[in-house]
Amino acid sequence: MRPPVQDLPEEETERFRRAYCGLCHTLGRRYGSAARFILNYDFTYLAILLSEGKPEEIREARCFASPLRKRAYQEPDEAMELAADESVILAYWQARDGVSDHDWLHGLKYRGVSAVLEPACRKAAARRPGFDQAVRRQLAALGELEQTGCDSMDRAADAFAALLGSAAQEVEDPIRRRVLSQLLYHLGRWVYLVDAADDLKKDAASGNYNPVALRFGLTDGVWTAEARREFAATLDHSIHMMTTAFELWDFGVWQPLLETTLYTGLFRVGKAVLDGTFRARPRGKDIKKSKNVEESP
Amino acid sequence: MNDPYQILGVPESATDEEIKKAYRELARKYHPDNYHDNPLADLAQEKMKEINAAYEQINKQRSGGHSGASGASGGYGGYGGAYRQQYGQSSSSVLQQVRIAIQTGNISRAEALLNNYGDHNAEWNFLKGAVCYRRGWLDEAKRYYQTACQMDPGNPEYRQALEFMENGTRTAYHPGDGQFGTELCGGNLCLPLCCLWSLCNGGGYWFCC
Repeated sequence: MRPPVQDLPEEETERFRRAYCGLCHTLGRRYGSAARFILNYDFTYLAILLSEGKPEEIREARCFASPLRKRAYQEPDEAMELAADESVILAYWQARDGVSDHDWLHGLKYRGVSAVLEPACRKAAARRPGFDQAVRRQLAALGELEQTGCDSMDRAADAFAALLGSAAQEVEDPIRRRVLSQLLYHLGRWVYLVDAADDLKKDAASGNYNPVALRFGLTDGVWTAEARREFAATLDHSIHMMTTAFELWDFGVWQPLLETTLYTGLFRVGKAVLDGTFRARPRGKDIKKSKNVEESP
Repeated sequence: MNDPYQILGVPESATDEEIKKAYRELARKYHPDNYHDNPLADLAQEKMKEINAAYEQINKQRSGGHSGASGASGGYGGYGGAYRQQYGQSSSSVLQQVRIAIQTGNISRAEALLNNYGDHNAEWNFLKGAVCYRRGWLDEAKRYYQTACQMDPGNPEYRQALEFMENGTRTAYHPGDGQFGTELCGGNLCLPLCCLWSLCNGGGYWFCC
């Protein structure tokens, strides 16, 4: 997931950035500097969805990414601490998953990450035992489906979707819990399917498990018109499930960001993945280049 | 009851036309068609009731307390019962029980009953699809509806369910003038800009993307 920056006023992108930095600070405070490296947009969205939506408390600090100038960040609240704990658990098990998916040499990176995160994860699991168990259970289920080459993309996506959905289980208000569980379930389903679609070519070459390829019988990683139409329809339906859930709860200050993300941003990402333009990610040097372009008047 | 103006999201100074517009937009959002078979349909129904009551109250207040205003409100109140799909008659008592279980939100029971039912006829496939739909297994739901339609092409209930899976999101609520659909959007992801917007002030570009 990405914030749809081009569709949002600067005020909203800045709010997202402060939450991103806030989550980074939370990870650092609770789990030490090494844990900050797991930070990404997905975890930031998790923090936003779990937050109460009240106007944030804004603080300023220097950090290793901005050592000279102080940067404003959102002061962590309980929801952000919950998101940080759940992020650590997710990141650790993702890394463990990477270890078991790769041979010894290619698994080194994942082994390194999981070794670094292990103490943090143990701490997080003690704080959120229910979520830790749900993640273990669903990832074990997913591993089994991969082993048996399950060709139901719903079943494969369900493991990841249910895992993300369980992030809402600690929410107290029963209506909010229902809304968030549904939203997170379909967000998880969408993320899993879009990821699989993004990996079509790579998995076709390597022979790795890909539920989307199996479902539509795509052997060379190329979409047929019919398969693409059906796949887009199922993505749209999940987004519809997310938007209908979203409209049933007041997300406060996050309303504009979430509305634009759900009604516009997800379609854009899905389209780019289907068109094969999503992978064309700019490398560091290109970013610096384009940054210079932007900075020149 | 809460402030009716707050519920409709308009100031008290709003004109009748503005209030009507705000009401229409909210009614479109929470309309039963937008929550067809949705596991959260009951919450949408509550919202709709609240909006209808607020609109009616404002109209009443503005027309000097005449109750006639509610008739002129053009409300969507009549749709109240349409959030949960009303299922037709079943060919067997077990399948009838499945329909009741789905209607009351007891999806595990519906699934257990279906799994123990040997005759995988058109209705069985249709109900299996309905269970999948509520679980969020949208692709499987569509395939079961397809099988149901193939086995009993003349059944309007099955055909409607399949039609909804294939084209239902085209009419889904969307704020403003935008369109709802992955293949309908411009696809202008504007990646460089996204990464350029370096979150951690320059040094952070390798975090993003």
